[in-house]
Amino acid sequence: MSDFVPSLDRLALLARARPDLLAGSLARYQEQEGLSDSQLAARLGCEVEALARLALCERPRPAPYFAGDAERIAGYIHADLKGLVQVLRAIEVREALSGSVDAKRAAGPTLLAARDYDEDEADGEDQGISATGDADEPENG
Amino acid sequence: MKATGEELSFHRRILARNDPIAFAELADTLYASLVQQVCKRAGVHADQTLVEEAVGQALLDYHDRPGSYNPERASLRSYLVMAAHRDFLNAAAKERRAQAHQVSLFELTSQGRDIVNEREEVESHAQAGELLAMIDEIFPDAKERRIVTLILNKVQSHTPYVQVLGIAHLPIEEQRKQVQLVKNRLTRRMRRRLSGM
Repeated sequence: MSDFVPSLDRLALLARARPDLLAGSLARYQEQEGLSDSQLAARLGCEVEALARLALCERPRPAPYFAGDAERIAGYIHADLKGLVQVLRAIEVREALSGSVDAKRAAGPTLLAARDYDEDEADGEDQGISATGDADEPENG
Repeated sequence: MKATGEELSFHRRILARNDPIAFAELADTLYASLVQQVCKRAGVHADQTLVEEAVGQALLDYHDRPGSYNPERASLRSYLVMAAHRDFLNAAAKERRAQAHQVSLFELTSQGRDIVNEREEVESHAQAGELLAMIDEIFPDAKERRIVTLILNKVQSHTPYVQVLGIAHLPIEEQRKQVQLVKNRLTRRMRRRLSGM
């Protein structure tokens, strides 16, 4: 046991299954870009050892919190803010295009707005506003 | 003992869900010492991979459901140690049950092909206990031993293999492909060893 050194890398590996943390998205980005750990760290402007800590960070919240969250993460892992934001935005775009669960979660407010619009149209029809006017009224006789 | 001031601060930040680095900082602070504490509780012969996995899961479960922890009742550290130790005991018991099952070399198959054809020759060479010792020798890596145990117990679902290999983040088709590659590789290694008997 004296030779055994626990590694945050192993925790970061387990964290890939948690959609709220960056671990899974970062791993997919790294694989898609064909980057080694050193290359990813260079892109982010941080040390390789910081990647495990980055993986355990929460995904930045959407605007208006995104900039503040990204800055907080960059400060924590001593990364270049611009590099980090570029990587985070690239991850968002890829996930949005692939229609992943993470992307749908990130796009939540937009989807709610679309649903409201549909409900308003449906409400208009229920109020009897139709092109046929009095066609359904019973005849007097 | 209740939560310390530092633990309470972490707990509030994680509950609020408005600080992206709160969980990472907590993990960085506690992870190594949690693993060492659970290792101590688990005993010198404990599988350290299982211990680390149990600690990792306990931390991640706390991240998902921080409301399950009551800072008035216990320190966060002792809460996590208890949760991880419980998970470790369950995982270790499962592993022991899997290894205790008597297996025949004729059950070791890959895509329906038998590895060993001469039943009498094999049975004259190995009882189950000797077989398990042989597996320990052929597969010194704990992960590979767990995969071989799953194969020997004819586990068809690919989910347990995926969990052992830690590839849940890959697309389903890629998971299946990786699982099959690993199963084939380990089966070939076993076949080579058996053919040399």
